[in-house]
Amino acid sequence: MQYTGATHSEEALRLLASVAEQLKFPLTSILRKAELGTLTGDLSLVDANAIQMHANAALTLVDSYLLGLQLLSSQQSLPLEPVSVSSLLVDVAHELQAMAKQYDMKLELHIGGKYEPVMAHRAGLRAALVSLGYALVESYPHAGGHIRLAVHRTPHGIVTGVYGDYQQINAAQWRTALDLKGKAAQPFTALTGNAGAGLFVAEAILQAMETRLRVSKYQKQKGLATTLQPSQQLHFV
Amino acid sequence: MANVLFIEPDKGLGGTYVQAFEHAGHTVHMAATAEEAIMTVDEQRPDVVVMELQLPGHNGVAFLHEFRSYNDWSDIPVIINTYITPAKMDQARAALKTDLGVTVIMYKPRTTLQRLISTVNEQVRA
Repeated sequence: MQYTGATHSEEALRLLASVAEQLKFPLTSILRKAELGTLTGDLSLVDANAIQMHANAALTLVDSYLLGLQLLSSQQSLPLEPVSVSSLLVDVAHELQAMAKQYDMKLELHIGGKYEPVMAHRAGLRAALVSLGYALVESYPHAGGHIRLAVHRTPHGIVTGVYGDYQQINAAQWRTALDLKGKAAQPFTALTGNAGAGLFVAEAILQAMETRLRVSKYQKQKGLATTLQPSQQLHFV
Repeated sequence: MANVLFIEPDKGLGGTYVQAFEHAGHTVHMAATAEEAIMTVDEQRPDVVVMELQLPGHNGVAFLHEFRSYNDWSDIPVIINTYITPAKMDQARAALKTDLGVTVIMYKPRTTLQRLISTVNEQVRA
């Protein structure tokens, strides 16, 4: 099926949003059924954790996609607020912990140093980082790896993102992947064996906040990160 | 233990809630629509109502307006457990709490059974 013209694109987007909304129903049922199984003893904790981790990852992708759509289609400018990146990263790490454990990976949090709050859409930034984290954990080439959530300062602003031993991640490949987004089944061959939807959802949310996801380096590790501007208002205080 | 009314249009998920709450020692009644819920409240006089806002026929807000119009039921706590995301609920949150006496609003996909059970227990004790 090929869509041409704005009307068809809008229709396709609305249909996709309905599909995403409806996907929440079975995913929620799976999550609650698995939990019930552990309460009644019908399901082992190990099995329940695995089921819940996968359902949670899918639900996060769906939620983040819908939030991205909502933010991008918002007629008004986004309500940005001062956000502490360090405390947001603690929250993101908490969300990603179960998946990292399931994939036998060590999740590290690098939030040392003092950073002033940044202006951001809190829910959007959180969703983008969680989506990015899930996508990178899933695509990690081997078990026992380290993945790092970090914040650091550069002359351009406060940079936060997800880092790891991604040998093949570079800016050119990321740009190519963005060009192939929605057109190829596997736009980012160097990193993921799937459509890389989590990466593109993170990128879409950040675009709505007028920032981007970029290839970044932190303490010899490569990753994808975004640059945020400190809140000037609080800076003066 | 409490007498809990669930207003949940998804029968599969509703069944899971019934099993979990019965396992926790509660008595559970289930209604799939607002109309059915009004009849069940009348017959069973629940200690607490746990409801989805998106219902077939009359929606959850219409149910709450009718429910709160009866003096006898004005002190029954209502917990909203919904698929509507917190971001979309932001504008309605204050009105639901202030005008319609909703005590707690939860996002259904992220609300575990254990958290829902403990929230119901807290509301019953309050």
